[in-house]
Amino acid sequence: MTHVNTSGLATKATYQRTALGIAVTLASLGALLALLLPFRAHLSTTIPALVFVLPVLVGTVVGGLLPGVVGALGGFLVYDLFFLPPYNTLTVRSAEDWTALGVYAVVVLVVSQVVAKLRSAREEAERRTQESERLYDLSQTLIGDLTLSELLTHMVATVQTVFAPRWTALVLPATDPSDRGSTAALEVAASAGKPLTPEDVASVTSGGGQARSLGLLDDAGPRRVSVALVVSHRPVGMLVLQDVQLVEHERSLLGTFANQAALAVDRAQLSEQALRARLLEEIDRWRRALMGAASHDLRTPLASIKTAVSSMRQVDAQLSPADRAELLELIELQSDRLARLVTNLLDMTRLEAGALELRPTTVSFSDLFDDALALLGGIVAPGRVAVDAPSDLPLLHLDHVLMSQVLANVLENAERLSPPSSVIQVTARRAPRDAPLVEIAVTDEGPGIAREDRESVFEMFSQNGGGGRAGLGLAIAKAFVEAHGGLIWIDPEVTHGARIVFTVPAATRVAATV
Amino acid sequence: MSKVLVVDDDPSLLKALRIGLTARGDDVLVAHSGAEAINQVALAGPDLVILDLGLPDIDGLEVCRRVREFSDVPIVVLSAYGDERRKVDALDSGADDFVTKPFGMAELEARLRVALRHVAARSDGSEKATTLEVGNLDIDLVHHMATLSGSPLQLTAKEFELLAYLARHAGKVCTHHMILKDVWGPGYGAESNYVRVYTHRLRKKMGDEEGQMLKTIPGVGYQLVPGAHSGVPNE
Repeated sequence: MTHVNTSGLATKATYQRTALGIAVTLASLGALLALLLPFRAHLSTTIPALVFVLPVLVGTVVGGLLPGVVGALGGFLVYDLFFLPPYNTLTVRSAEDWTALGVYAVVVLVVSQVVAKLRSAREEAERRTQESERLYDLSQTLIGDLTLSELLTHMVATVQTVFAPRWTALVLPATDPSDRGSTAALEVAASAGKPLTPEDVASVTSGGGQARSLGLLDDAGPRRVSVALVVSHRPVGMLVLQDVQLVEHERSLLGTFANQAALAVDRAQLSEQALRARLLEEIDRWRRALMGAASHDLRTPLASIKTAVSSMRQVDAQLSPADRAELLELIELQSDRLARLVTNLLDMTRLEAGALELRPTTVSFSDLFDDALALLGGIVAPGRVAVDAPSDLPLLHLDHVLMSQVLANVLENAERLSPPSSVIQVTARRAPRDAPLVEIAVTDEGPGIAREDRESVFEMFSQNGGGGRAGLGLAIAKAFVEAHGGLIWIDPEVTHGARIVFTVPAATRVAATV
Repeated sequence: MSKVLVVDDDPSLLKALRIGLTARGDDVLVAHSGAEAINQVALAGPDLVILDLGLPDIDGLEVCRRVREFSDVPIVVLSAYGDERRKVDALDSGADDFVTKPFGMAELEARLRVALRHVAARSDGSEKATTLEVGNLDIDLVHHMATLSGSPLQLTAKEFELLAYLARHAGKVCTHHMILKDVWGPGYGAESNYVRVYTHRLRKKMGDEEGQMLKTIPGVGYQLVPGAHSGVPNE
């Protein structure tokens, strides 16, 4: 639940404007009186009548009808007392003066009313502009790409600012699965204004999710307004405003807000569901790919082990000692390959599930290379590989176990596809550009990789694409390299054979001090 | 001693098969890719081909089809578990039998023997042959007569056609699809229950309720095994 603090001053502002209007009226009246009083003997009685229209005008413009009326009364008294002989009495002597006073009274009352009406019309127009601006702002917010909780926070904050209740709360069906009992529980998903007391929370969430088809109504408690958020006759939530007095136009404004909010909440909920569904789909696709690739890659060594063993049982007498030795070696190598694949697979599954943490240590490239060869257990004879690494190559900072598997997988791939007599080139160098990375490249003289397969060889899908390269080995290499924040790719400039390049983090600090 | 061509992209399996088959007395040729395999069939003329379906260059099915354009050499396909669809496709494309990886040498040898005998039976006569002989089963295509161990079988026209088709392809695994297309007509292909009903009747009449001579290959089709059975017909 989120809570937003705002304070509303709408009605207070109105009182202040009226008071200011009265003050301005009285002040200008006093000023004009002081200005005219010394000259009253020389003035015609009609001049003050004209002059004292001014405070009424000013007051009405500033504060509305009430200051206007105050101005009219004040003007009448001042005019009668100080400018119509005999002075300082309310008595009026001549018929001419009576006429002047009467006309003055009528004029100021009419003027103040007309001006006040104009003024309130202008205010109404301003208010409507403001409302549509707020609605526009709100709808902008609502169609934006916000998560559900951001959206709710925005919504209650806007309602709080516009209507200035004690607090605003948005109630939604509880999302916590443990709360899903026989009746759908409600929870306050977002609130604004004064903090809600536990009693407030209890009172708005009670009713056990009965879909109150509220429309717009004042219900339980002092001046509480609840608005149901309804989308196509289905309630999606409820907006509750505490301690608020709404006039007619505010009610319809709140209704419009509620409609917008209902659509937005509904849409946000749907899109969150869709996101979850997409995520599950992705996981499912990945699992299926893994299963397919794993079953192929695991079965391949198994097939040759089984064939070799059954040959030895079936036709043992006919086998020469050399043949027997060859079969035994094959069985051992393939068993190792199988074991390595199983380890790789388990590591990868744990990595994807977030259960495997990288344990980076600082190692040299040559250690990494030796470990990779050891992992391959003789599949790649050391003599087949030419290593080229500069003497000032920085140390590497990586998970030794995983990264030696990466190098082993890439080497095995190169070995499998190269002509038997060819040499596999392994180079390591500081990555171009200043990044603290080391680039390791393995080049083979195999059939190469078609341009269109250069991405897919790292996927677990096709067994036959990419000149027989695809399968688990490179997919696992990719997963491990990416877990280190690195990249793995096929060098597009190499056309004879294939060059697979990947980056690993260099140990910057250690390299600087050693 | 036969000349066997083994086609697989996994060098370890190639090595194991080469040693195993050589020890059995075969003359073994190897190919690492589909293109190499097609060349070898054309140039070396093997007696039998063991073909992996998952090859790096040309798909195994395509290799089957291309080889069939110029050669009747028996093809035993190596398929992976879970590859049922492709296995059936390979049989439809001209393969004779299949072995699912991983397999033992004994199983492979049994398949190879059947496939080789199949071709021996086939090479006895041309396509125009008027009689077929599969073990102790004799079929006279001209007079629509079949005898098992000398006793005549009382067959309906459809039963005879089915038996004749299987005998013509003795040793080869015939898919439901192939049987339906040939025996029932080109408009058929999915009605595998028809075949089931007729093979059931044939077995009864041949005294082969166990299905040893007329073998069911689950999910794929049927195979008439040369010399697997020496029963007498049920009267």
